[in-house]
Amino acid sequence: MNVLKTPLALIVVLLVAAGLIITFAWMNLSMSNSYADLRTVLTTTTAVFGTMLGIITAGLMFTQGKFSELSSELTAKAPDYLSKVLVMEKMQPIETYLLALRKTFTKLAASTTVVEERNLYERIVTKASSIFVDFAVLLNLKLKQQGLPISQLLVSEMDSKLYGVYEKGLKDVKREWQIFTLIKQITDTCEAHTASFIEKSSITSPLEADLKSSIAILKLKEKGNKSLIDVRNEVAKALSGLNSEVGEISKRLHDDRIPQLLSQMKQASIIRGKYFYLALVFIVTPLLSNLLMLPQLSEGTVAFYQPIIAVTSVLSVMGVIFLLLYIHKILNV
Amino acid sequence: MRKSAEKRLKALFAEHSTPPLEVIIPILEKTGQGEQELTAQIYDTYAAVTKEIMKILGLKQKNMKTVAKVWEIVNSFEKQPFEPIELTESRFSFSIPDCPMVHVGKDISQKVRSKFCDLICAGGSKAIMDNVLGPDSGVCRWDKALIHGAGRCTLVFELVRDE
Repeated sequence: MNVLKTPLALIVVLLVAAGLIITFAWMNLSMSNSYADLRTVLTTTTAVFGTMLGIITAGLMFTQGKFSELSSELTAKAPDYLSKVLVMEKMQPIETYLLALRKTFTKLAASTTVVEERNLYERIVTKASSIFVDFAVLLNLKLKQQGLPISQLLVSEMDSKLYGVYEKGLKDVKREWQIFTLIKQITDTCEAHTASFIEKSSITSPLEADLKSSIAILKLKEKGNKSLIDVRNEVAKALSGLNSEVGEISKRLHDDRIPQLLSQMKQASIIRGKYFYLALVFIVTPLLSNLLMLPQLSEGTVAFYQPIIAVTSVLSVMGVIFLLLYIHKILNV
Repeated sequence: MRKSAEKRLKALFAEHSTPPLEVIIPILEKTGQGEQELTAQIYDTYAAVTKEIMKILGLKQKNMKTVAKVWEIVNSFEKQPFEPIELTESRFSFSIPDCPMVHVGKDISQKVRSKFCDLICAGGSKAIMDNVLGPDSGVCRWDKALIHGAGRCTLVFELVRDE
């Protein structure tokens, strides 16, 4: 079922299924050709499509309600996070550590010739920059909430590319609850989850894991270059500081079940978006076609409408399957 | 295992992670330096992990059973599948279907893999045995079968016999 999570894959599956159904329907045209039979089929499939549309509309209302309920819950928590969890005393040292890491690893990446090592250092710079920008956005929102002037201190540390990301981040936060998406993004980028000895080579590691790796490398190289001892100590200090500060934020986030709430919202958003539009295309189109055909169907037009009725009747079976999938998704919200 | 012990072990493995071999090996290969440091790092990591595992689980006996228990914990927390083969008073062996050496970049030669396999296995196994059985009380052998394309690699730990 995971493949159905990507809209393109789902559309392709549905289109292929629709193609097969149409072919199948055309091949079975001769099976039923009496007017009475076709009228019964048309009336039944129209009723089926109508019922499905009703259920899907009810589903939409349910998911919309669920989405609003979840966003209200998160919105109610947001001011508390901005004022009590993301306090300046926490944010300032985090930003200082991130800046120091960016500077250190930019230099290290420029000085190494080994591709794997350079990739690791560049990864650290990218992640540190991403967290730095996310915190800058949060700080901006926090200052706005408190009615204080926006600090240009963090912005002055950004190059044009980072500033672009920062501005986009600010624009993307349109609702209060969206600060949690940013906070979760920060903790996900930062924190290491236990990875296996073997998995280490293949997974996208978080900043914490990359920093540990870099410390191990610096330790190996410092015999030939004593200045790396200081660099390693600095990195270790930044890692420990980040772990402690971000760890606290992450703990609070998990205690408040924010990741689960965000995941439910995402699911509800998918259902009211992608799934709803697909339902409209695959149910409303044949329904409209049936409704248009119903008054026109007569002994004289049977032969003309027979192939279309065959297609829509098989599509109704497919619609029922789609409906089951839709209901399954709704139940998981 | 009690929940608190499991939590402490989880924290232990998060704190003492092994160096990233896929990054380290190409660097060491190109610079030709740091092999001894890598062995020392592996040794120190596993020595610290072994001491803590013994403390957390209250393992006091200095025998092969404890060596086996420590390996079981290490493999389980590093998500390394393993299959015990033999456990006697003087010998413990197990096999593994996968190892980090298999995942090191494709451009790394078999000779280099073999050299680093020796460094890592020597460092790790010695750290565990030294801390459970006592310094230089055990030896470990490994057949490098995975590097040579076989399905499983076997590690054998034996007590050093006093002649």
